[in-house]
Amino acid sequence: MNAKRIRLLIWKEFLQLRRDPLLLRLLFLMPVLQLVMMGYVVGADVKNLSTAVVDLDHSVVSRRLAASFASSGYFVITARPAEESALRPLLDRGDVKVALVIPEGTSRRLSAGGSVPVGIVVDGSDSRIASVGGGYASQLIAAFNAKLIAEQGLTVSGPGIDARVRVEFNPSLRAVNSMIPGLIATILVLSMSVIMSQAVVRERERGTLEQMFVTPISRGDYLVGKLTPYVLIGIVQMSIVAFIGRVWFQVPFNGQLWVVVLGLFLFMLTTVALGLLISLVSHTRQQAQQTVMFIMIPFMVLSGFIFPVASMPPAIVPITYLIPLRYAVDFLRGTFVKGAGVRELAVPLLAMAGFAAALLGFAVASFHKRLSD
Amino acid sequence: MASPADSLAIDARALCRTFGAVRAVDGVDLEVRRGAVFGLLGPDGAGKSTLIRMLATVLSPGSGDAFVFGDSVVHAHRRVTPRIGYMSQRFSMYPDLTVDENLEFFARIRGVPTAQRRVRAASLLESMGLAEFADRQAQHLSGGMKQKLMLASTLMHEPDLLLLDEPTTGVDPVSRREFWRIIGDLRAAEKTVLVATPYMDEAERCTDIAFMESGRIPHRGTPDEVKALVPGTLFELTAPDPRAALAALSDAPGVTSAHLYGDVVRVLSAPHGPDADALLGTVRAAGVAASEVRPAHVDMEAAFAFLAEQRGEDS
Amino acid sequence: MIAAALSRIGAIARKEFIHIGRDPRMLIAVLVVPVMQLLLFSYAISFDVKNVPTVVLDQDMTSASRAYLQTYRSTDFFNVKGSIDGLASIDDVFRRNLAQIAVVVPAGFGRSLARSEKAQVAVIVDGTEPNAAQLGQAYAIALNQVYGNRVLAEWGDRQGIDIAQAGRLEPRVRTWYNPERRSADFLIPGLMVVIIMIVTVQQTAVTLVRERDLGTQEQMMVSPLRLPELMIAKLLPWTFLAFVDMVVIAIVGIGFFGIPLRGSVVFLAVAAALFVFAALGMGLIISALAPSMESANIIALLIAFLPAFILSGFAFPLESIPPFLQGVSYLFPARYMIIISRGVFLKGAGFAELWPQLALLGGYSVLVVVIASVLYGRRAAR
Repeated sequence: MNAKRIRLLIWKEFLQLRRDPLLLRLLFLMPVLQLVMMGYVVGADVKNLSTAVVDLDHSVVSRRLAASFASSGYFVITARPAEESALRPLLDRGDVKVALVIPEGTSRRLSAGGSVPVGIVVDGSDSRIASVGGGYASQLIAAFNAKLIAEQGLTVSGPGIDARVRVEFNPSLRAVNSMIPGLIATILVLSMSVIMSQAVVRERERGTLEQMFVTPISRGDYLVGKLTPYVLIGIVQMSIVAFIGRVWFQVPFNGQLWVVVLGLFLFMLTTVALGLLISLVSHTRQQAQQTVMFIMIPFMVLSGFIFPVASMPPAIVPITYLIPLRYAVDFLRGTFVKGAGVRELAVPLLAMAGFAAALLGFAVASFHKRLSD
Repeated sequence: MASPADSLAIDARALCRTFGAVRAVDGVDLEVRRGAVFGLLGPDGAGKSTLIRMLATVLSPGSGDAFVFGDSVVHAHRRVTPRIGYMSQRFSMYPDLTVDENLEFFARIRGVPTAQRRVRAASLLESMGLAEFADRQAQHLSGGMKQKLMLASTLMHEPDLLLLDEPTTGVDPVSRREFWRIIGDLRAAEKTVLVATPYMDEAERCTDIAFMESGRIPHRGTPDEVKALVPGTLFELTAPDPRAALAALSDAPGVTSAHLYGDVVRVLSAPHGPDADALLGTVRAAGVAASEVRPAHVDMEAAFAFLAEQRGEDS
Repeated sequence: MIAAALSRIGAIARKEFIHIGRDPRMLIAVLVVPVMQLLLFSYAISFDVKNVPTVVLDQDMTSASRAYLQTYRSTDFFNVKGSIDGLASIDDVFRRNLAQIAVVVPAGFGRSLARSEKAQVAVIVDGTEPNAAQLGQAYAIALNQVYGNRVLAEWGDRQGIDIAQAGRLEPRVRTWYNPERRSADFLIPGLMVVIIMIVTVQQTAVTLVRERDLGTQEQMMVSPLRLPELMIAKLLPWTFLAFVDMVVIAIVGIGFFGIPLRGSVVFLAVAAALFVFAALGMGLIISALAPSMESANIIALLIAFLPAFILSGFAFPLESIPPFLQGVSYLFPARYMIIISRGVFLKGAGFAELWPQLALLGGYSVLVVVIASVLYGRRAAR
């Protein structure tokens, strides 16, 4: 391999990129824009759910219960219908997502020492809100119970469980802290693979690729020369995106900088190699585009960024191991949120390194064969 | 301004068009009579394509205007386009559509009624020798066939004016001849044709020509008128070492210009300049062997070369 | 006049169909792959948090502690993977992503219970995935309460004491519209929309650029063809194909996954047709703007992809995002279609409830043709 020729190729690539200002803007502006916009959405915590309270008891206890819901920060009481039947239209229209139904005689039954069933209605058509909202409500009621018991002064002397439940890492349970790192990786893989694949296929379609091989430029030279500018661009892009993600959304960073840099670099190599491989198996820009699209959809769905891997059926889980984005998400969450180091993150790091090596290897191998057709 | 005379197919006035810093067309006036076969000659980059595209309403003039059959290309282009056919320099059909499908498509876009589409397509393909390739995809046609396909497509709606931008560039000589036969047929049918071409020999077949260079038209007229601009007599000298002969003749007195033409030296002798024998004498006196000298007709190529040289000297 | 316009539109639409037909690879990719993807992902995705990897630390090692820990194993929620050595391992296990919950039973657990005292346990939850963490907390508290009550009741029985129970509230959670709480019912109508949205925008993203590259754009300019006719004609063939795609996907969803279809099919079909037209229109606008085919492709992917997943309401609720972003989300047709899709499938809604979304889709479709025409007209500037 010839360093001078490689430098020449890199220079040419940058020259072409500079002549296409739209592309430059896409490379740097769009990821940042997307990060900020999508960040707000993926980082939104489920709270301030519009709630209806049907208080059929009208007692001090029932009002206190309703008040505890209102002051929790999770529920916002927007309606107080007089009857349960009034709930149906409210939920149908989506005016409220949750309803609390306190039955008649609650206060009486409580003082008599009995248990009272409190109704919680959740809008199941949005199952995320439903499960989390239901969970919050149950927790609130459990806390309310504990307070009631304490007040009633009934220290039940007998065995029981005193459970201390606490949260380790991300104690504020802000969704942003965990989603932004994943979003960074997702944006990176999307933009780098599409840009890389289009860049190489364009040369192939135009025939300039053929031209190159009747020069002394070897295929190795060409690959290095083609990859390097995009790797450099990728490094800049991911630094900007990571920095803005951290600063704009105030995502705490508990890890070590060099670990993050290492992991992101490996991942970026993987994405560039992926783009290259796609372009080598595609004859036209359109084919490359279809391929990128059909690879990215599984990436989004199966990487654990949106849907937890633990909830996937056992048959699917092995497939998720084939998705490089999965390791990047795990890695970034590990280092940002949990402050994990190289030792703990060995698995994702090795996996990403392995992917980068394998994809690059495939690319090099198919480079020799493919381009004769 | 009075409306231009109806006998003009094209009446262009002071057309200008710039691309960035380049003045592609720099104040061109042009008059093309109805029924003419007008040749627009000139080297690459002269501005021929730009001019034609402005006339075809595909490009808007920076300044100036052109009237095609009396309608302005700037203000009334929708009245102009139904009467013209435009054939671009590069292949502009769909590569993955067949010959038939391409013809059908562009004719339908133009609003040619169904019945006439079939009939005309069939006769055009027949007359151009493309009938057996009707089902072949355009990308699989040879260069000459592609050009013929484009020409056929421009004729489907039977326009009165054809604007052809280098229709025979890159085409084999046989196809070129066929092309000009078709153009001849069009002329017989009283259509007007404006052809841009870099080939000087094609200029001979035009009724009127114009030279274009650097966005301007310095010379125009019928072929005979243009050739008459060249004073003196043209001779062709054959020699075993043409370069040496050329060197001997270039600065000889009474020789207006001399240049190589294949392996023959063309010498333009000024009026009252040396005749054939004198030229032979000059060459032999320089110690170069020469076989013979023959008088030749001033053709377009010679005229163009002379006029270009002259302009070079003038500027 | 209209007849001539229709004839021109017909000519272009027919040409587009020929292009599509001559590239069978792409046709298969566009028709078949979305269906396959829907099948795969519908099976895979769910918001139902369960099988959360859990580790236990039993420092007591008595039958009481073992019995206690057994209750975790018998739930759907906690997936007990194994035990750890000591408290120090918890952070390590969390960092390695081997578990998200740790249950610690300290020494003296059994003894406390035997002495009729409250026994201490600790449950540590990894907050990295807030949803799982929230639910983990709630489940852990609930599980411990139930266990505690049971232990107390058994003791009371043995002693012959009537436990003066304190009064307490018991939450009864009812889920409407989706009683089995299958998040699949919620997600699949959305996933259909997301996949179609992404795929369709790509199809039209290069079509106008291609005309320019080929040089055929000029020939069209010297014809009576009007720009809106061109836009409509470009959109129609793909609208047809994408609509067929949606129908197939819907049938697969209903047939394979048992998604209920409670609302009006006709309404859904009309909405689907408008939706694909609008989404294709987005792609068309991109191809009117982009200077080259590769730019068009890059823009199309970046514009369609993440917003389809994230800004459409598919997986992330949009109620509490900043108003500016709410506005941006309305720039994507997927937003309207997801509301319609879920409404019709799950809530049995129809024209009466969802006409605003339908009207918006209709308006969007018209706007798209206008914008594409204007932008293309400017770019193809004579």
